[in-house]
Amino acid sequence: MIVTMTLNPAVDKMYWVEGLKVCDTTQEEFLTRASRSTTAAGGKGVNISVFLSRMGMESVAMGLVGGHTGHVVVRDLRDEGVTTNFVWTHGETRVNVTLLQEGREHIPNLINESGQTIRPEEIDRLLRRYKRMLNRASWVVLGGSIPPGVDIGVYGEMARMAKDAGAKVILSTGGEALTHALGACPYIVKPDTREHMTLEGKGLHTVETIVEAGKHVIACGAEIVIISHDVTGDIAITRDDVWEIKASTPTTKLKNLVGADDVFLGGILYKLAQAAPVEDALVFGLAAGLASAESDEKICRDMDVIMDEMKDITVERL
Amino acid sequence: MKVREIMTKDLTAVEKDIPVRELIFILNNAEMPNVPVVDEEGRLSGFISEKDLIRAALPGYFEMLHSTSFIPDMNQLAKKLAQIADEPIERFVRTTVLSVTLDDDDLQAADLIIRKGVKNLPVVDEDGRLVGRVRRIDLLRHLL
Repeated sequence: MIVTMTLNPAVDKMYWVEGLKVCDTTQEEFLTRASRSTTAAGGKGVNISVFLSRMGMESVAMGLVGGHTGHVVVRDLRDEGVTTNFVWTHGETRVNVTLLQEGREHIPNLINESGQTIRPEEIDRLLRRYKRMLNRASWVVLGGSIPPGVDIGVYGEMARMAKDAGAKVILSTGGEALTHALGACPYIVKPDTREHMTLEGKGLHTVETIVEAGKHVIACGAEIVIISHDVTGDIAITRDDVWEIKASTPTTKLKNLVGADDVFLGGILYKLAQAAPVEDALVFGLAAGLASAESDEKICRDMDVIMDEMKDITVERL
Repeated sequence: MKVREIMTKDLTAVEKDIPVRELIFILNNAEMPNVPVVDEEGRLSGFISEKDLIRAALPGYFEMLHSTSFIPDMNQLAKKLAQIADEPIERFVRTTVLSVTLDDDDLQAADLIIRKGVKNLPVVDEDGRLVGRVRRIDLLRHLL
């Protein structure tokens, strides 16, 4: 069984607008009407669970939810056929807003809330429930930001618990949360570099620095490290190999980048859970991520489109 | 149709050592009238509902009455509830639990729900572990 953990899920609200102005005076036209909008459950683990469900693979989505927006997240996941196992909190699940300008969708504007403050008893309750789920887990995905009130070392603790239970861990987070969890030796590490192109304080701007940082994480005990090089390309470092996966897709074709990186990881997991070779999983993952990014819908549901995308992807051993 | 095709795939459950106060919080926030009780392996071991808590907070003679008009005021109920708020729920959990399995027919689930007058039934796998629940509304939704 695959378990995804999202400590800080969100309601992803997306607005498509003709143009967006920040007004300086009260005389200006201050109303922006959205031409379209969508609402969906979001967060790394949540997005991965939705993708897996759309591919016909079962997973259990876990995490912390609260208030009205918490019900939106749980309801959306259930409608997607995902098994839910969330702990209810006293706060309110956050809302993340994405503004997409028509014709320039490949440059989104994101406003992400930091999330509700979690009480100690709420994270304790989640850890207990998580421990129970680990009895049935073969893969665990730990992803996304850590909400206020939760110890920064929580992913490290969860990764250790999963490893002790015999599950493989995929970790996708950034900053300090990532640094703290590396000691637990997750199976796959995918640093979230949206805010800082760094890993353990080191810059990730060139292929050389990416490979060097990845090898350091492998030396810490991880089996696969995947680092985004650019929007349509990634570098994967394993114990024996370094792979560069690239798509020839022009960035202007991308319509919706929200969640695409999570689908990439979901695609890799989908293949690895079926014992596919790493390079095949990487190609499928990138194809799934691109198929999502090229559609208005946040998460791709069409296997044929993914298979078609795979034709434009090359994987090369560096 | 099989239970696995109509059930709500939710694993919200509690352990028998949580306090009554926490159970009320969970029932309220998860908007569930009752919740399965599971052991540390996730196996179904009991069931507890709002009704069980009300029964626990009411005077012992209440079961013999046919009307709430015999209760002098709500303070009596509130006082009793406050007394048990930090007690583990174990004492109030029903250990004889109705449940269905993933491969049971929807008719079997409907029969139990109607005959026993329950709002939902836990669904368990072959090892007795909780995998979801069938609600009355799940049956109605799939019949339409």
